[in-house]
Amino acid sequence: MQNVTQTPAVKTAIAQLIARLADNKYYLGRYFAEWCSGAPTLESAVASAAMAQDELGHARALYPLLRSLQPEAGAENEPETRTVFSNVSYLDQSFAAWEDFIAANVLIDGALTTVFAAALASSYEPLAGRARKVLQEERTHAMHGDGWVRRLAREGGAVHAAIERALQRDWDETLCWFGQDDDETLASAGVLDAPPSELRARFLAAVAPTIEAAHLAIPIRHAGDGWELTAPLPWDRWDAIRYRLNAADKQGK
Amino acid sequence: MAKKTTQATPKAAENEQQSATAQKPHILPDRVWLVLARRAYEEPLRQVGTVEADDIELARVYARSIYDEFAWVEMALVPRETLVTVIEA
Repeated sequence: MQNVTQTPAVKTAIAQLIARLADNKYYLGRYFAEWCSGAPTLESAVASAAMAQDELGHARALYPLLRSLQPEAGAENEPETRTVFSNVSYLDQSFAAWEDFIAANVLIDGALTTVFAAALASSYEPLAGRARKVLQEERTHAMHGDGWVRRLAREGGAVHAAIERALQRDWDETLCWFGQDDDETLASAGVLDAPPSELRARFLAAVAPTIEAAHLAIPIRHAGDGWELTAPLPWDRWDAIRYRLNAADKQGK
Repeated sequence: MAKKTTQATPKAAENEQQSATAQKPHILPDRVWLVLARRAYEEPLRQVGTVEADDIELARVYARSIYDEFAWVEMALVPRETLVTVIEA
């Protein structure tokens, strides 16, 4: 696959994409690993360890790409010396409870997978190559998240309410994370095969069936062959540089 | 000689209650799945262990995560409850 020559604007957009993919995977891996000895079952503890290993491996494969994309950033390109991260705000701290783990597993992990799937035929070949490996390993992550959402929701009562709250808390930021509809830089350059609006639709198609079947109060509904949001996203609070919702506006987290 | 009787101490009663609580499942009862796998196509499928999950998708995830020690050419799951006893142990 030939590497398409990028304009400075496209190169910057690619670097920002790689940074937020790597940073989110890095923190997912760290927090998944923290539950290796605290998961509700022995099996899920082992699965947490495996998932942590996968995420950290994906991050380690992505960070080196920053060296050629933005060599002027120097030490900021390395995870050990990086000071500014582009992760979603709900990965700023460890998971306080198992439902927080599962919400991140389903939401941001699922969103990352949606983007990697859109990068399989990327004009930026290093990303295409990594996308193939990532998607192979993410299949079990999605099964884990879906299975646990069903299981926690089926419990009813306070457990159902807890997973519902965790998903509701992280929902808006995850949907915003695909970017604003008018930002088609990456799609136009062939880095991703779809613009933000289509990526959001694909993500909804992946997660909505499980959420609906579990009777969780998330603002989505059927729309033709797909799904649509029933509440507007808080774009007034969106930080397009760090790709996260402004923390000061997230009340009750 | 009067028989010496022993009354349960508050600590012993607390321990018994904690033990009962620990045995009580806090999530729905799990199903047990037998994990079968083979390392080469000329080998038959053999049981390599079990996993507990009440969801077939989670059972799949757990089997792959836990029994990841070899490059299996095939792995399968069977709900233990579907086994039919021919000779009872």
